[in-house]
Amino acid sequence: MTSAIEVRGLGKDFGHIRAVDDLSFEVAEGRVTGFLGPNGSGKTTTLRMLLGLVSITSGTATFGGKRYADLDHPVRHVGAALEATSFHPSRRAEDHLKTVALASRIPMTRIDETLELVGLTDVARRRVGKFSLGMRQRLQLATALLGDPEILILDEPANGLDPQGIQWLRQFIRGQAAAGHAVLVSSHLLSEMEETVDDVVIISQGKLVLQTTLADMAAQAGTGTGMRIRTPEIHRLAEVLNAVPVGWHQVAPDTLVIDGATPEWFGPFAAQHQIVLYELVNERGSLEDVFLRLTHGFDASHPMAADSGQSAPFLMPGDQS
Amino acid sequence: MTAVIRSELLKVRTTAVPWVLAGVAVLINGLLILVIFLSKDYGGTGDDVPHTTQQLRNLLGSGFSGYILALLLGVLMITIEFRHKTVTTSFLVTPRRQVFVAGKLITAAVLGALLGVFMLVVALVGGGITLSARGGSFSALAHQIPAVAPGFILVFALFSILGVGIGSILTNQVAAIIVSLGWFIILEGILTSLVHAAYKWVPTGAADAASNLTRNQGNGIHLALFSWWEGALLMLGYGLFFAVIGSALLTTRDIT
Repeated sequence: MTSAIEVRGLGKDFGHIRAVDDLSFEVAEGRVTGFLGPNGSGKTTTLRMLLGLVSITSGTATFGGKRYADLDHPVRHVGAALEATSFHPSRRAEDHLKTVALASRIPMTRIDETLELVGLTDVARRRVGKFSLGMRQRLQLATALLGDPEILILDEPANGLDPQGIQWLRQFIRGQAAAGHAVLVSSHLLSEMEETVDDVVIISQGKLVLQTTLADMAAQAGTGTGMRIRTPEIHRLAEVLNAVPVGWHQVAPDTLVIDGATPEWFGPFAAQHQIVLYELVNERGSLEDVFLRLTHGFDASHPMAADSGQSAPFLMPGDQS
Repeated sequence: MTAVIRSELLKVRTTAVPWVLAGVAVLINGLLILVIFLSKDYGGTGDDVPHTTQQLRNLLGSGFSGYILALLLGVLMITIEFRHKTVTTSFLVTPRRQVFVAGKLITAAVLGALLGVFMLVVALVGGGITLSARGGSFSALAHQIPAVAPGFILVFALFSILGVGIGSILTNQVAAIIVSLGWFIILEGILTSLVHAAYKWVPTGAADAASNLTRNQGNGIHLALFSWWEGALLMLGYGLFFAVIGSALLTTRDIT
């Protein structure tokens, strides 16, 4: 497996603020790499450094060993879709693509091809100012694809897309990887990317938290398996659970989760203590849980961060009630 | 570079800029022709119309001060990219920012020259028709084309280059337009009325020299000028100087 993108010790200072710090990761050919982190974690800055839009304070970012600016006609090697706003409103969609095609000596036949690929054929002659956010997002993708690049960089491409659009985007991204292309796609929501990515690069506060495969991360998530129990006798259940060596936490006034428990163990246990149960669910920890565990506490804007100290009204393991 | 220039030409053509500029050019030139025919030299009496070589050249070159539009064209070509954030795509396509600015400079020179040609045509048609209607000679006016056109068109091209230079430094569209117009409409006039010797050094003086047209200096003060090629080089120097500074600033600029 060859790396299409190599990032080594990348750093960026904005004044005294270190936006990206000693970041290293690789993006492999034929795979989709999710670039994940909370809002403000440095994802967009990193992508823009890769593409030569933001100057690099330290480290390197290369495509097959070359900096973006050193590539010959870069948009024919690296396609980037960065934001949904960068069009002149009175320019028609096909003219926008034509300005890119002319400058990079891309055959004009690619314009119709890419418009068709992203489903904008019908509005090719419409001015971009009249486009919806979702249409702009598609035109941005068309721009990225125009040069038939072997590497794609997509910054939050799902923003502004409707559910069908997101479904289409997933298939599109998978198709690109299947064709042997390398795709680096950023998102602040892992759940959005779960079905799409092969590898994950997780950053928080400009630092690498984890680079791994999605399979590895799923295995980690598996360790969070437990049972969710709803019962009218939650105090008595807490009492009897405290007498055995299992971890648990309360998630609602009448519900708690027992770590690592199985129905085979808990069913007889509840019967033995004659506890009434309303609900008994086998619960797998989600990837999102792992993602939040890895990144949360850093993102002040995330609701989970605010919730983290808020267990006071709930029973805690060891509480005598 | 030809690829970049073709792209730049398309970019301009797919905005309202050329149509607005052409419209304003017709309007300005029409008014200036009207001013010539209503001026006291010809008294509006119909018994005298522009007929001397100098009068005919002044009529044909009546749109000369439209070089301000050529300047705005250059300014808009670069600031419009920042205003609408199309610069992100442009820098992805042309990551070397000196190449980006160079492409704009060459394209601006071509389009500025075209604007000059357009204004000459407007003056030839508008002035010529008015002239014939008043008993003057259309062909006498047309005969002045070889004398007037080269310098006229050259100055328009040079002003568009200067516009790109200014725009590459002041990428904020409003700021760039205010500074450009502020200089050419107000500051330059104040400066040169205080220091007459400065006139040949300022862009307007250099443009006057480069155009090789003797303009009416209504205040009766004769202001010294460089030769046409010295003036042209000075104008080009201003444009390229600003463009080099602008490129250097753009190279360190983060596009976020």
